Amino acid sequence: MCGCSARTTARPGGRRDAAGGVSDGQTHRTLARSRIWKCAGVGRVTDPPELDNSWSCSELDLNEIRLIVYQDCERRGRQVLFDSKAVHKIEEVAAQKTEDVPTKTPAKCCQGGGSGSLSSHGSSGGSLPHAKEQLPKYQYTRPASDVNMLGEMMFGSVAMSYKGSTLKIHYIRSPPQLMVSKVFSARMGSFCGSTNNLQDSFEYINQDPNVGKLNTNQNNLGPCRTGSTLGALQGGGSKLPPGAAEGGPLRLSRSASFFAVHSTPVDMPSRGQSEDRDSGIARSASLSSLLVTPFPSPSSSTSSSSSYQRRWLRSQTTSLENGIIPRRSTDETFSLAEETCSSNPAIARRKKIAISLIFSLCETEEAQRNFQDFFFSHFPLFESHMNRLKSAIEKAMISCRKIAESSLRVQFYVSRLMEALGEFRGTIWSLYSVPRIAEPVWLAMMSSTLEKTQLCQRFLKEFTLLIEQINKNQFFAALLTAVLTYHLAWVPTVMPVDHPPIKAFSEKRTSQLVNTLAKTHPYNPLWAQLGDLYGAIGSPVRLTRTVVLGKQKDLVQRILYVLTYFLRCSELQENQLTCSGAWGPDEQALAGGSITTALERGEVEESEYVVVTVRSEPALLPPHTDTGDLCPHLAGQGGRGPEQSPAARGTRRPRGASHAPVKPWGRGGENADGPAPSGCAAAVPREDAGLRREGGLPRNESSDSALGDSDDDPCAPASPDLGPGSDGDSEHDRPEGSPEVELPLPSCSARRERVFAVGSDGRYHLRSQSVSTPNVRNFGRSLLAGYCPTYMPDLVLHGTGSDEKLKQCLAADLVHTVQHPVLDEPIAEAVCIIADTDKWSVQVATSQRKAVDSTKLGQDVLVSSQVSSLLQSILQLYRLHLPADFCIMHLEDRLQEMYLKSKMLSEYLRGHTRVHVKELSVVLGIESNDLPLLTAVASTHSPYVAQILL
Amino acid sequence: MNAIVALCHFCELHGPRTLFCTEVLHAPLPQGAGSGDGPGRGEHAEEEEGGIQMSSRLRAHSPAEGASAESSSPGPKKSDMCEGCRSLAAGHPGYISHDKETSIKYVSHQHPNHPQLFSIVRQACVRSLSCEVCPGREGPIFFGDEQHGFVFSHTFFIKDSLARGFQRWYSIIAIMMDRIYLINSWPFLLGKIRGIIDELQGKALKVFEAEQFGCPQRAQRMNTAFTPFLHQRNGNAARSLTSLTNDDSLWACLHTSFAWLLKACGSRLTEKLLEGAPTEDTLVQMEQLADLEEESESWGSSEAGEEEKEGAEGREPTKCPVDSSLLSDCGNWQPRKLSVFKSLRHMRQVLGAPSFRTLAWHVLMGNQVIWKSRDADLVHSAFEVLRTMLPVGCVRVIPYSSQYEEAYRCNFLGLGPHVQIPPHVLASEFAVVVEVHTAARSSLQPAGCEDEPSLSKHEFVVTSGSAVAADRAGPTILSKVEAALTNQNLSVDVVDQCLVCLKEEWMNKVKVLFKFTKVDSRPKEDTQKLLSILGASEEDNVKLLKFWMTGLSKTYKSHLLSTVRSPMASEPRS
Repeated sequence: MCGCSARTTARPGGRRDAAGGVSDGQTHRTLARSRIWKCAGVGRVTDPPELDNSWSCSELDLNEIRLIVYQDCERRGRQVLFDSKAVHKIEEVAAQKTEDVPTKTPAKCCQGGGSGSLSSHGSSGGSLPHAKEQLPKYQYTRPASDVNMLGEMMFGSVAMSYKGSTLKIHYIRSPPQLMVSKVFSARMGSFCGSTNNLQDSFEYINQDPNVGKLNTNQNNLGPCRTGSTLGALQGGGSKLPPGAAEGGPLRLSRSASFFAVHSTPVDMPSRGQSEDRDSGIARSASLSSLLVTPFPSPSSSTSSSSSYQRRWLRSQTTSLENGIIPRRSTDETFSLAEETCSSNPAIARRKKIAISLIFSLCETEEAQRNFQDFFFSHFPLFESHMNRLKSAIEKAMISCRKIAESSLRVQFYVSRLMEALGEFRGTIWSLYSVPRIAEPVWLAMMSSTLEKTQLCQRFLKEFTLLIEQINKNQFFAALLTAVLTYHLAWVPTVMPVDHPPIKAFSEKRTSQLVNTLAKTHPYNPLWAQLGDLYGAIGSPVRLTRTVVLGKQKDLVQRILYVLTYFLRCSELQENQLTCSGAWGPDEQALAGGSITTALERGEVEESEYVVVTVRSEPALLPPHTDTGDLCPHLAGQGGRGPEQSPAARGTRRPRGASHAPVKPWGRGGENADGPAPSGCAAAVPREDAGLRREGGLPRNESSDSALGDSDDDPCAPASPDLGPGSDGDSEHDRPEGSPEVELPLPSCSARRERVFAVGSDGRYHLRSQSVSTPNVRNFGRSLLAGYCPTYMPDLVLHGTGSDEKLKQCLAADLVHTVQHPVLDEPIAEAVCIIADTDKWSVQVATSQRKAVDSTKLGQDVLVSSQVSSLLQSILQLYRLHLPADFCIMHLEDRLQEMYLKSKMLSEYLRGHTRVHVKELSVVLGIESNDLPLLTAVASTHSPYVAQILL
Repeated sequence: MNAIVALCHFCELHGPRTLFCTEVLHAPLPQGAGSGDGPGRGEHAEEEEGGIQMSSRLRAHSPAEGASAESSSPGPKKSDMCEGCRSLAAGHPGYISHDKETSIKYVSHQHPNHPQLFSIVRQACVRSLSCEVCPGREGPIFFGDEQHGFVFSHTFFIKDSLARGFQRWYSIIAIMMDRIYLINSWPFLLGKIRGIIDELQGKALKVFEAEQFGCPQRAQRMNTAFTPFLHQRNGNAARSLTSLTNDDSLWACLHTSFAWLLKACGSRLTEKLLEGAPTEDTLVQMEQLADLEEESESWGSSEAGEEEKEGAEGREPTKCPVDSSLLSDCGNWQPRKLSVFKSLRHMRQVLGAPSFRTLAWHVLMGNQVIWKSRDADLVHSAFEVLRTMLPVGCVRVIPYSSQYEEAYRCNFLGLGPHVQIPPHVLASEFAVVVEVHTAARSSLQPAGCEDEPSLSKHEFVVTSGSAVAADRAGPTILSKVEAALTNQNLSVDVVDQCLVCLKEEWMNKVKVLFKFTKVDSRPKEDTQKLLSILGASEEDNVKLLKFWMTGLSKTYKSHLLSTVRSPMASEPRS
């Protein structure tokens, strides 16, 4: 645990409380907690399919996620509307004592949590009347001293006129914190005009009393001044706690006017809010309307939405080259009114609301880095949950106005926010610490070549076991049908290509087209991977998750493991890049670059390995590449003689990542290693051919040619003018179209470990390995989870024992997914596949239609006969003892057949608006139960299919 | 990476200024999907957007444009800039680096040329240095919105013995439209930009220390404490970064560093995306192509000569009269096109369903299919149509020959009308002969062909040594092909796709059988089991599989044969 010891003692309670926002908080959180200790202590789950691959759970302290809501009003300046750090929950007993011994209160408070009793009301947004009795008592104290500074950071020191939402991330060094804030323009809604005091909305006295604006507020206090200390006064209203007089707990002015009621509460439409929103969403996102107006998603706007197209479009829509294209409507506002009204210009006063989440980071550097890695790589998920939190805050602010009694209102507001925050904390914590499937089959097969046979054997064993044992009622076939229908990223992996395989036949080749695209028009591979995983590559774009339910943990884990073969995505590699532009030793010394060498015994007896390591290459790269004098210098510094080539840098990272050297800019294996100035090669007389090929410093063509072109020092034209003496008044225009001074581009090379082995022949052999991390900081490793204590909203795949939370949250989660798509592009539908191994049912829930009867979460899945026969034949082949890797090749062939059939189907649909299944079944054995699957597959290559069929 | 990296400075006299800015220019893709047009971009953009916000042309003509202020401000005046606000001297053309492999260019100027980008960078610069608040004033921030783009900014101080507080304030910013990409890159950008900053600060510190040593400013300032500071500094109010770091090649260094940063950030994460294996047909075609290339290299044009000979013997006599008459009459090729089979369905209509079935049966089973006709084009078209039923590897055609060729040499053989076919072939159940005669009466032709004069002139007689029993089921694929051809609702294209599916489906069975029998040499009983699993235990299907096995690609076969034979004994089974 990273926290101080004082905090640690209070942890268990705090943790439970923090997560209490979720309604069955008590139970599942207890489970979760036991999980923590398990993670921290044991580290590994014994069951083979699920190895714990998570981030260390101890690195994230839930209570250290702080929520601040701030308002910036043109007239009134800034007010803190909420600071979770200022909220203290008063335990029943403690509350009693508060009156007597107020000074002790803080100690007895459990900071920052919702509670179990509260949470039962959590999800049912509209249950205002009952709120009274159940609300826990909170005490709202003075916000921490840093809020003013934080407010500055959120809003900036100069007001921006921009109307849309702004996103900011700050890093605070001490204490180490990460702050994400979103600033929205407030939208007041229709009844703003009717209530003047709404404009004072979210204000209460929390600032330094010396702040000037306070005075104006106090003048207005008037009758509203119920002086409620947030939370401390329950119903009692006017009675101030002793602490208030001492300036401890804060008082609300004019019932903070924020909490002020309209003298006659506006009668709101009686429909439940969530209901209202849901239907609205369903309507707007329904496919019919999508098809009428061209949907601005890549997949429908182009003829093909293959993986390639998706990536290409992404790189184009986010291009800066030709000016910018604002992609999203920027009408994301903070709603202070229940209904959307045509914005009244008079009311559209500049008011901004900032929501800010602050994550305290551990003091230890490694833990800090871990969390930051997680945070930045998973930011889309963080943002999505932040949006959710924002909606909850909006609701709370709107709802609490309906409560007449101010103290209750305050209490309601605070507990709603704490509840929402609790949910946010719980989600983030779960996401961070959830048990991951250590070796997703597809990704593992893609990356490791060594143990491929074992991998195939193990997978096939599990796979066939499931086919044999759990295909009751076609359960497994139904599950696989659903997975193949919605998690569509398998389709591009079986699309036949028209070029020959380069390597072993069984190994598919990597897509050259996409590789080239990544180089020439870089896009974000993380984003691409996320889309693949969610299966969002069809048309219309659907985002899918899969949950496997069941009391039998072992069985659920097996299913999860097997599904990771079919849930496909690209494998990401993070390359430790070094710039291999040549630079002079002077610069290097200046930059503090140093060479350290180490001798290591080789594995081969008669050879000795010399590991040459250069650390910290300069960041500021001198442009000239004077290769001639490089080698001697470097060799001299290294003290190892001429066999060290100058690029012998690369940190010492002894590791096994020998596979798939990644050469982002390299041109094949020969020179993936950075430029090898020919001079250097010459200076390494004893290298054998292998040296230059494997580890030598291959040249970067561009720098070479640039070298050739620029006989004169490229800096020369620049430097004379740059001296302090040259004055800026020289009236030379930049000659139009005059060519820029060309400088060589240093190449990026994957960091390499260079190992010189002295062979028995006395010669040096150089081996080098590129250092790239198969990292967990990508979605392929983080969103495929194992057996979780409870249902989770973000994971692409996970299992859990109980459907309780699933039932509660699923509908809202799906709607949220559509509203705030993590893919940063609009999606048409959110889907969740629910496989229940206790009931042997597979259902698909979607954001588009509600389950017909309330006992069901979604619609039952039709079992595709294609899938069913595929399963049977794999099982039979396996039983006939065909080797595992061959069975898998056959499996891939069969998947390819499905793809080909979908091609046929799409061709068929060019001429037909309906599918006469019989016509197809005679010819290809396609049955009506295959149509959903084949249509979905077809939609990845022929977007028009969906329009015809839906 | 699709980003702009810039160095900004908060000038004590002029406020936030963009000093130096590196852009990325990508080549358009070959498909032309992109709108960017690389090198010509600048001028192009000017024409399109000039005058909207600020014309580059105008800027180019204005003096001191290199240090011009934001678009909204009145034209930049000399008094509005100083050494501190300027990077490249006016007239300096900027820097460029080419990445040949990817055709990406990295270009550096003081400001971007594109007016929209100019204001984007300008805005980011202002926000970075005078709006956003960073605790401690030095450090990373991310900010942005959809309209102005997203910015990673790192602010920092540079020592200056002459400046107020002995330091000046700068920032390095990276601007992108893809906020997720930018946020994902935070740790990387932070590390690299921090490195650049450290070096700049290091250089400046040395200069600072040297200057302090020579002339301690603090003491001097103490002595003249009451003199207004600004006045005291004379012309030194703003010093360029080059002088602060004492590095004349600073801008070239920064260009190189920024270009590298952009390149590296774009290639930091690489994606490995697999695609499907090629179909058997594709593989075989590629192998054949490779063989052909080898052949043509090794023995030149002998084959071409043969063909000429064939043409001379077979084609000339039949075609000449027709061609010449038609050519003189119509002067085009249309009639010739009509005298060919266009599709399997077409052929089925012409031959009639029973004859077609017989023919197709023999085709599928690998029996020799012999067409005798005077019209070589007709035969050629027939083979082109028929071969679509078979995997590419199973097709061996001799389009038109003057003599009978053995079945092992070809399963499609075209012959002139008078070529003798050996009797044993005629009697064989493994061969089928289609004789094309000139029709006596056109009324004999199926109704569908009335509009096809040239084909209606012909009569087709399909014979085989042993007639195929009408009630015999035949290979499964045959009935499916027939079903597809019968159903007029399925367009020709759909039928083609169906054929592709059927062929791949059966080739996949072939692969298993090959592995089972040829590679692993499994016993007969097992093979029988396997066949029933594959749904191909009927005699005709087995025959078909065996024939089709000859069409497997070498690539596939050698792969299976080279991998370790089935480790069935050692393989753990549950």
